[in-house]
Amino acid sequence: MAVLLLLSVALLTAYFRESDSGVAHRVQDGVLTVVSPLQSGTATLTKPFRDAWNWVGDLFSAKSENKALKDEVRQLRAALAEELATRAENEQLRALLAFQEDRVFPKGVQLVTARVIARSTSAWYSTATINAGSSDGVEVYDPVVNGQGLVGRVTKVNLNAAQVMLVTDQQSFVDAMIQPGGETGSAQGIVSGSVTGDITLDYVDKNEKVEVGQYVVTSGRNGSVFVKGIPIGQVESVGRQDVELYQSIAIKPSVDFRKLDIVAVITR
Amino acid sequence: MSLVRPVVQSDERSRPTAGEIVRLAVVLVVAVLLQTAVAPHLRLLGANPDFALIAVVCVALVKGSETGAVVGFLTGMLTAVALMEPFGLSAFVFVLVGFFAGRYAETADLPAGLAPLLTVFAATLVANLLFALAQFLLGREVPPGFFFGRVLLPSLVFNTLLAAPIYVLVRLWLQGKAGLRAAAR
Repeated sequence: MAVLLLLSVALLTAYFRESDSGVAHRVQDGVLTVVSPLQSGTATLTKPFRDAWNWVGDLFSAKSENKALKDEVRQLRAALAEELATRAENEQLRALLAFQEDRVFPKGVQLVTARVIARSTSAWYSTATINAGSSDGVEVYDPVVNGQGLVGRVTKVNLNAAQVMLVTDQQSFVDAMIQPGGETGSAQGIVSGSVTGDITLDYVDKNEKVEVGQYVVTSGRNGSVFVKGIPIGQVESVGRQDVELYQSIAIKPSVDFRKLDIVAVITR
Repeated sequence: MSLVRPVVQSDERSRPTAGEIVRLAVVLVVAVLLQTAVAPHLRLLGANPDFALIAVVCVALVKGSETGAVVGFLTGMLTAVALMEPFGLSAFVFVLVGFFAGRYAETADLPAGLAPLLTVFAATLVANLLFALAQFLLGREVPPGFFFGRVLLPSLVFNTLLAAPIYVLVRLWLQGKAGLRAAAR
């Protein structure tokens, strides 16, 4: 056991000390190249079951209303699961297509469609692994979206897979602005994630007028990795305190992070 | 069911054969795939199940401390690879969990039927504390209220609930029906 523990610590140390092209990173890339097709297959195979689980979760909240229909619905669930999965996938792809058509992206920008094949269950990281990598043109810092809005940005890339840090991760920061803007223009700030999974818009001057329900989108400021105008969410609450320089703005994300499936990477 | 019998018998502690290694590898791969592709979508009380941790504990209970530690190390490494997370942290935690779960199985005087539940409960507690400590040392935010209320407590409930069925499946896969009957005697 002592040998394995020492090996673990040595690997951990080496991983953090070396560059992205170091031995440990290269070994990880190599193994992931083999593992990612398996993950992809598992994600596809288990999708009907996951959809069924989510579906049961939604049903549970409406239990009192649906009690009389419950038995009948249960019998139909298995038959419907596959159809629902296909329909949901179609809707996601349509939304993604609409997202692309509704926007004017800078010259040279392309959308690479990918599927989420793994998610971290750790409470400390909000990350997802997608089945598109450097062979598809994906690079670190590329923004990731779905039909609902901004999902996050790419933090690691392998040949056939990439890790995406979600907007909700406590180390995620996104330049953002409020829409529609007021007379003095759009209030700008930084959207930050948190360990609880909530997101907030920080560094908005307390003299700026912000109202509940306004939309928060990426600002695409010079130097930002995010293109302008990607929806992040809606203002849920606004707090102002005399002793604070900035407002405390809570945002309801436009993306349902529990049901991430098909996404697109915005590559340059 | 015996009330004063170690979960792992002395004849079960020998080094695994080639066939057993293949079976252990299957458990390892299935656990990692479930952990990375299925567990994120199964949320109960705000927590996700930790199939990898439960599998390591179950293997350790059936095969003992040495095998538990090795399977823990490999599970941790493969999980880190699959999620593109830093190497070593999960492996470190799972080695400890696998080893001590195996030691418990070799020496415990508790009812065999309760062993998986108690061990998974204890392993979840230790693993979560170690992961939280590691996050703190890495400079990430670790609010105590969030950790105890929304991470530790739900994980303890979810993992303990899953412990018994997964233990039965792992024992059945590794030792067949005879092993399961022996455990119940």
